[in-house]
Amino acid sequence: MSPKIKRVLEIIPGAASWGTIFFLILLAAIKPVACAILIIVFDFYWIIRTIYLSTLLFLAYHKLFDYKNRDWLSACGKLKPDKDWEKIYHLVLFPVYKEGPQILGASLECLRQSRYPKEKMIVVVSFEERNPGSNQNASELERRFKDKFFGYISAFHPDGIPGEQRTKGANATWAAKTAKQFLEKSGIALDDVIVSCFDADTCVDQDYFSCLTYHFMTSPNPHRASYQPIPVYNNNIWQAPSFARVVEISGSFCQMIESMRLEKFVTFSSHSMSFKSLVEIDYWPVDMVSDDSLIYWKAYIFFKGDYRVVPLYITVSMDVAYSNNLLKTVVLQYKQKRRWAWGVENFPYVVEKFMEERDIGVLKKIRRAFHLLESHITWAVWAIIVVLIGPLPLLLGGKIFNQMAIGYNLPRITGMLFNFTLITSLALVILSRAILPPRPKEVSWTKNIVMILEWIIVPVVIVILGSTPALDAQTRLMLNKPMGFNPTEKNEKKVV
Amino acid sequence: MHGEQKIRVLLFCLSLAVFLVGLPVILCFALGYKFDPRSLKFTKTGLIFVKTQPLGASVYLGEKLLDEKTPLTINELLPGKYHVRVVLKNHYPWAAEINVEKGKVTRFDKIILFPVLSSVKQISQGRSASFWLSEKKDTVYYIDQSDNCVYRTDLQGESSVEVSCLPQNLEPPVKWSLSPDKQKLVLFDRYKIALINLDAEGDTSGRYRPFVLNLPGSDSNNIIDVFWHSDSYHLVIVSVSDIAVMEARPNSSVLKLASLNKTDTCAYYNLSSDTLYFSDAQAAGDGNFYENIYKLDLNTKLFLFRDLIKLRQTGYEPKDKKSP
Repeated sequence: MSPKIKRVLEIIPGAASWGTIFFLILLAAIKPVACAILIIVFDFYWIIRTIYLSTLLFLAYHKLFDYKNRDWLSACGKLKPDKDWEKIYHLVLFPVYKEGPQILGASLECLRQSRYPKEKMIVVVSFEERNPGSNQNASELERRFKDKFFGYISAFHPDGIPGEQRTKGANATWAAKTAKQFLEKSGIALDDVIVSCFDADTCVDQDYFSCLTYHFMTSPNPHRASYQPIPVYNNNIWQAPSFARVVEISGSFCQMIESMRLEKFVTFSSHSMSFKSLVEIDYWPVDMVSDDSLIYWKAYIFFKGDYRVVPLYITVSMDVAYSNNLLKTVVLQYKQKRRWAWGVENFPYVVEKFMEERDIGVLKKIRRAFHLLESHITWAVWAIIVVLIGPLPLLLGGKIFNQMAIGYNLPRITGMLFNFTLITSLALVILSRAILPPRPKEVSWTKNIVMILEWIIVPVVIVILGSTPALDAQTRLMLNKPMGFNPTEKNEKKVV
Repeated sequence: MHGEQKIRVLLFCLSLAVFLVGLPVILCFALGYKFDPRSLKFTKTGLIFVKTQPLGASVYLGEKLLDEKTPLTINELLPGKYHVRVVLKNHYPWAAEINVEKGKVTRFDKIILFPVLSSVKQISQGRSASFWLSEKKDTVYYIDQSDNCVYRTDLQGESSVEVSCLPQNLEPPVKWSLSPDKQKLVLFDRYKIALINLDAEGDTSGRYRPFVLNLPGSDSNNIIDVFWHSDSYHLVIVSVSDIAVMEARPNSSVLKLASLNKTDTCAYYNLSSDTLYFSDAQAAGDGNFYENIYKLDLNTKLFLFRDLIKLRQTGYEPKDKKSP
């Protein structure tokens, strides 16, 4: 594909988002009635969408609750004799950069406490060689966990391998290649290995690997699927500041909703897949930031559309990104969300590959590419339209517009939307309480009240940490200013 | 397809249906369109918005009482004239003939429903002629016409006390005027000016002693009007023969500023600029007298400066004092 077409594809998301915003602002000034009509249509669409998605969220929560009450290891044991689950090995990769033993130790401890047989688990902690503390960290962790699993490997990803960028995907690929050598040496068939790539702070549920094994064994064509758990940010949720908590819980909710929309579902953050498939598709992309979602698209294109994501309604818990002062926390959160939103780089990649790929149906390709583009544009503009552009026709429309029926009705309809958002927020508050871990003893009971009241700040948070980072990421892609991989600083005050 | 996915598809279809059906309804409502089932046509309507102070009033559209109370919006009104009446118990009703235009909102959002005066309470005694509020807005002073005395009462009228009575030799006052600082009351008849100093401590009974200012030749020099200077210390007196100033204290002397040739002079005093406007017939260059309106600036041409007053009251020289 010519570089010009690639540039055009990179420009499309940002141009569409900025175009939508500027078009509406201009329309509000020149044709306030037309702008008001568009805003009402969008508001109404958003209400319907919110009802629809909230219902999906409750369905997902129901499944989460259902999964929690099942004994997955026994379920594996009851599988038909032809499904020999005991031959399955779990390869767990932790590509890390600066995270130390305090964070990794807690994550590995969660693995150790897993109900799944540890003699069927291989752990690879892959450090960046360029980090001076890597050797010391590796030694300390080896001392604690070396003999706790079937295999425990400390890998060191060299810096500056040709073709690589300093990304998590490059480190994960190095870890996977190191593990492959170990598996071949140990005589373990790659077909029988499920690989899970986790963030350094990922703490899995005790039943995660049992549940994963069960789904792997019972899924049709299990090697053509990724297995996506529900990411929650419970590790330090009680200690995190309100707005960071609201953002992260909202993120978990989004993931729960997405898990119900299978045709759009892609991998995110910590997830699992067949190791054989991973080797076949040549591992993670080593030069792109959003490796977690790109691995899905890479597999989808490699297997000519015959690849899917199987939702696992079981949680993997991570840290809420926060710092010791509010501004730093906002910056941390902003950067983390911008990195997530950098997933927009998938769009040019996917469309480029779709154009080269002939075996996937045209309609299927158009639908998937459209979904990808639409989700990123919506992410960048919806909060801005609802919160900031909504009142513009009234402000810019002048006296005549304000005397018109539509000028009079516009704030009432947008007000109705706001009231409805409050009702939806109430449902979210209830649900957020349901997915919270128990309150630690050192945290005051008054925090319960704060955790309910904090949802009032949602309209502010969705603009600052919802739309703006997404718009920022799209603008960078549009202006060809690539974003390096900036790992989120993990809070050392981890509570497991 | 799994059960959840079936539910999801059903929900999606339902949501789509609600959107497709609901959107035209909402847009028609927003734009003011109403479906007329008789003509099977959409008609563009207008609306009326009524907001009252106090809220919660009932609204009649023609003869029909509407269910909602104010503030309310009367939607989907065909263009034309409507009689709207707003009623609230113990308040005077409000009514208007309103012309509704298509696609427009007619706003009546500044309606004040005034209370019916059933709760009027008398707070003064006798025959109150005039009243004013103290600087702190916590006391009412009033003059009782029956005994020509000034009384003071609280805002509820529950503690009315006599402040001072006007001098007996004063004819029924032509006019009374309160000083800008509301500390002194000046009254005058055709010949005399009486002054009650309300900022004085009063005698042992708390009464304020009135005093009469003597004007030279007051028997023939009828007083037309008396004004307070903005310093609340000087009085500007317009009589049939001249314009004079004097200090509002006992035994003060009179300073004559201008002679008047017209006996029925009209005068107006601008307190904010201390300027006196008056009508008179002054001699022109040709020696004839022509009636005109004149202006006398009392802020700069006399030694009536606030600084001087301050100096007298506090005993120190102001830093920014300017020479007169």
